[in-house]
Formats: sequence, structure tokens, C-alpha cells
Amino acid sequence: MLTPGALSVVFQPVFEAQSERRVHYLESLIRGPKGTSLEAPEILFEYARRKNATVAVDCACIQAILHASRELAEGSHIGINVHASTLAQDPELLNFIGDSAAGCGIEPSRLVVEIVEHAPPWDVEAFRNGVEGLRGIGARIALDDVGLGHSNFLMILECRPDYFKIDRHFVSGCHADFYRRAVLASVAELARPFGARVVAEGVEAREELEAVRGLGIGLVQGWLLGRPCEAKQIRERLSDGAAVAWGEA
Amino acid sequence: MRPMTTHAERRPHLLIVDDEEAVAYPLSQYFRARGCLVDMATEPEEAEALVSHRRYDLAILDVCLSSLRTTAGLDVLREIRRRSPGTAVIVLSGHVSAEVEREARSAGADRVLAKPMPLRELAAEVSALVGVAFG
Repeated sequence: MLTPGALSVVFQPVFEAQSERRVHYLESLIRGPKGTSLEAPEILFEYARRKNATVAVDCACIQAILHASRELAEGSHIGINVHASTLAQDPELLNFIGDSAAGCGIEPSRLVVEIVEHAPPWDVEAFRNGVEGLRGIGARIALDDVGLGHSNFLMILECRPDYFKIDRHFVSGCHADFYRRAVLASVAELARPFGARVVAEGVEAREELEAVRGLGIGLVQGWLLGRPCEAKQIRERLSDGAAVAWGEA
Repeated sequence: MRPMTTHAERRPHLLIVDDEEAVAYPLSQYFRARGCLVDMATEPEEAEALVSHRRYDLAILDVCLSSLRTTAGLDVLREIRRRSPGTAVIVLSGHVSAEVEREARSAGADRVLAKPMPLRELAAEVSALVGVAFG
């Protein structure tokens, strides 16, 4: 599974909610070995967790992603998912990311590290050091799946994320659900003092897009605007009109 | 036993778990050729990862999946029972001792069968448990 070429990578854009065609960054998504039960990422990572191999698999994913990202346009920023436990457990991860990025000709400042976690407990201090280290090399931090599982207030405090990614569970059908909109609005409000931007994940309907826009959520991701595709296709599509922006509202 | 339908009406989702790929793969292909959706695993951790995210109509489990955990298949069976009580389970073993049979039954196996088993007979067991005629 960890042999070179076994993992494949696709990218899904995170768009500016107002312009729809302006890509803010590209989240990389891993697929396991083709034709096996591990092809689905949720099975791959569950398997890794059960084999106590999350760190090794995360590192293999990072390497595959950076390798695939060489095909992206030079200015594009790349989202990489990393488990919080990996950041806490592997003091060498920072060097690994820095060296791997350098080896692929990618400045660490082009990286958005999306922190995911499905398996507490982890060493909070080591995790905090890992996050600070990532900031030190210029990467930005996103907290994935805000509102679900372990992406809770503690994680928000420890990460002080640049991006709050709200899980699709809260976005799906939000246009017709007062309570979902209430949760979305509260996350948007929470992100403000952190100086963070909010990403609504799983936007699949025009009405959902309008609803999250109306709540002041600035970034969106989902099948309505862009499905995951390979680096080469992303490059072709971006050269076809969608500009890559960074830090623009 | 469920009432029979044909697989054209419903495609049963099967999980086949055996540490020998030379056993699991042909078995998977046999049931795929009969219209089933099949996931295959050769390690207990892989099987447990699958059952933690997917629901199956039926699982075929080898008991001995690891030289270190000689009854790892029964751990997979318990995980299936915990997460998906409606999944039918056939335990296959090269050594069906009275103890293995008792343990497998107590863990929730619907059938405990000896390997090797003619594919037609296994298909008949699967068919009866999932309520789908393979023709």
C-alpha cells in the first residue's frame, strides 16, 4: 500500500463564495490502491488506524500529494489533510513536510494543512508544538469537519485555525432548515475574532450556496462548483478562466 | 430465511474475508459473476475497517486470519454483530472442531462450514441467507 504509485491524488477546489469561479485553494484528496477495498479513503484511514500505521500512511499521503502537486499551476495553494495524532506523535513530521515540499519545488507557504482527527486522546502539548511548527514554515492551518467528532472547541483553541471548515452535515439542506443555518451562523461568528475564514463543505445545490452566502460565509466547496479531479485537469480548467487567488475577500 | 428475489431486483452486498488471496479472490469473482457486490479483505484490520463503514447483507469469514491471532475471524464476526446485527455470517474454517463451532455460534455465526466447500453448495447457503436466487 505504501509503495510509490499505490496512492493516487485528486484535488477539489475551495472557491470564493461571491465569485464562484475564483479558486482560493485546492484540497488534495487521497485514493488508496485502485481496485482494492482500501481505495475508498475512509476505509484506508480506518485500516491504517487499526494497524497503528496512521503516521506512516499520513507521510505516504503527503509525499504522494506533493508529488502530484508539481503538475498544478505555480501560484496555486494546496490543502493537505493531516491527522492531529500524527502531528502530536511524530516530531519529525515538520522536517518531513519541509523536505518533501522542497524536493517537489513547492514553497511551504503554499500549503494549507487541514487538521483532521478521529482518534483521541493525543498529546496536546506536542500537537500544539506541531501546529506552531507548521506556522513557522509558512503553512496555514485549517480545522476540518468543524462541528463533528473531535473538531470541537478544544481543537479550535489549540489550532487557532486560519480556516474553519464546516462539515457537509450542517450545509446539506441548510436553505430549508432554520437550525442548520443557526449552526452555520454561529461558526461564522466564532471564526471572526480568530481572523479566520469559513469554508462551507458539501455545497451541492444552488439554494445551499445562496444560503451560506447570506450568512456571510466566504468560501465554499462542493460538487455544485467543482468535483475532485486530477492535477492535470485542474490545471486545464484554471487556465480556462478561473483565477487562483490568495488572501482576497 | 428471507423470501427469494432475483439478483436483477436486488444486488446483495457481500464481504469475503480470507487471509489467502488465492481463496478470497476466486470466491469474490464467483459471486461478482452472479450479480453480487463484493468487498474482499485478507487481514482482520482490513475487514474491521470495512464493516465499520459499510453494511453488508452477508459476510463469509475464515476463522484463522493471522498467525498471531488464530481466531481473528471471530473478532471480525463480533465486530459485525456489534455494528450490523442484520448481516448474515457464514464462518468457513479448515478445522471445524466442536470448540470452533461453539465459539462461532456463540459469536453469532448463522452457519459454520468446513473448507474446502464446493462453490455450488456455498452459493446455495448464501442464496438461502440473503434471499436471492442466483439462477
